[in-house]
Amino acid sequence: MLSFIATPDFPLASLEVGQHFYWEIGNLKVHGQVFLVSWFVIALLVIASILATRNIQRIPSGMQNFMEYALDFVRDLAKNQLGEKEYRPWVPFIGTLFLFIFVSNWSGALIPWKLIKLPEGELAAPTNDINTTVALALLVSLAYFYAGFSRKGLGYFAKYVQPTPILLPIAILEDFTKPLSLSFRLFGNILADELVVGVLVLLVPLFVPLPVMLLGLFTSAIQALVFATLAGAYIHEALEGHGDENEEH
Amino acid sequence: MVDPTVASASVLAAALSIGLASVGPGIGQGNASGQAVEGIARQPEAEGKIRGTLLLTLAFMESLTIYGLVIALVLLFANPFIG
Amino acid sequence: MFDFDATLPLMAVQFLLLMVILNAIFYKPLTKAIEERGDYIRRNQVEAQERLSKAETLAKQYEQDLAETRRQSQALITAAQADAQQIVAGKIAEAQEEARHQKEQTQKELDQQKQEAMRSLEQEVDSLSRQILDKILGARVA
Repeated sequence: MLSFIATPDFPLASLEVGQHFYWEIGNLKVHGQVFLVSWFVIALLVIASILATRNIQRIPSGMQNFMEYALDFVRDLAKNQLGEKEYRPWVPFIGTLFLFIFVSNWSGALIPWKLIKLPEGELAAPTNDINTTVALALLVSLAYFYAGFSRKGLGYFAKYVQPTPILLPIAILEDFTKPLSLSFRLFGNILADELVVGVLVLLVPLFVPLPVMLLGLFTSAIQALVFATLAGAYIHEALEGHGDENEEH
Repeated sequence: MVDPTVASASVLAAALSIGLASVGPGIGQGNASGQAVEGIARQPEAEGKIRGTLLLTLAFMESLTIYGLVIALVLLFANPFIG
Repeated sequence: MFDFDATLPLMAVQFLLLMVILNAIFYKPLTKAIEERGDYIRRNQVEAQERLSKAETLAKQYEQDLAETRRQSQALITAAQADAQQIVAGKIAEAQEEARHQKEQTQKELDQQKQEAMRSLEQEVDSLSRQILDKILGARVA
């Protein structure tokens, strides 16, 4: 692995790609920095939820208001993809996908993790590690298989040969490209964002990177939205069957 | 030791992959944005909906470039051809 | 960069755990709260709708009553006006009648006096003419 450019005199502006803070659990290796930040994200979400639901009132205020807005947002997202009839059981999955990815992305962009020194690697958004995004994408795959099987049983496989058996290889290939494109899209966007900001900070440490950082915030939010939307679209497709889908992706 | 041929080829391939991957999505994004502006001009009351859809589709097109970027990053930082 | 290891399954498990936790402490209670509020608002709205329609019927009734009263008062006024008009007309006619009557009487008296005067004048003329006649012819006749 090439280490990019190292500037020991300016610790805020160094680029490290592909270096990890390894933890050994038994004889398994895990990326410690990913887990540290993801625990932070999870703690943030759980604390916000507890604050919001500790004292539920009819007229919401403060934290409850904010979290109700978030809930409304993810409910609308799920409703738009799955339809009024089906969306309720899937709100926790799609909503947690959105919230987790969104808070992860923004925590990577907004919190100056680089001030905290790790022996190796650096703290960043959990979503810029391919393990995280592949894990989430595989969960989406499992979710839509579960949706299809629970709805149609083994008849779910009929969709592979539905219009014509000639498309069978393509239909099977689709099941592999879906998680692949989902995970690579998220991973690439977040990593690219952090790299661009890193390179700009390396070149001009003051003010110039700000617009790119803002763009990065925007992209991060959109990518979280895209991930959740696509998860909803795939689940909807599995629920409805192959013939009558008009979803674009 | 890194073979200089492999190294230079990797750098060139990385540049080409991100460069070429940005051409198609660029054209596509231009088309989509143009059509969206046309749609807004024709139907200003549908602006919110059009903008939401436009952002989503732009993100999809953008991800094509990102795939190229991922390949470029692999060639630069995790090159499988360098022992 | 692409080193997959135990991070992947652990992250998946962690995510599922987060989903379960959030489902218990976030989605369920807040969804319940939102739906209860929706019910409350809907119920209140129905009630308010009812009250509004009731108020509207009441207002309509009042309006009708008001119009009725106004019409009645209008009729009353018209009747009174007509009565007054009649009285005025009667009085005027009476007065006119009286005036005419008086005028006629006066005229009659005037005529009578005139006739009387005429008659006395005629008598005078007669006596005078006889005297003249006597004076002129008397000598001759006598």
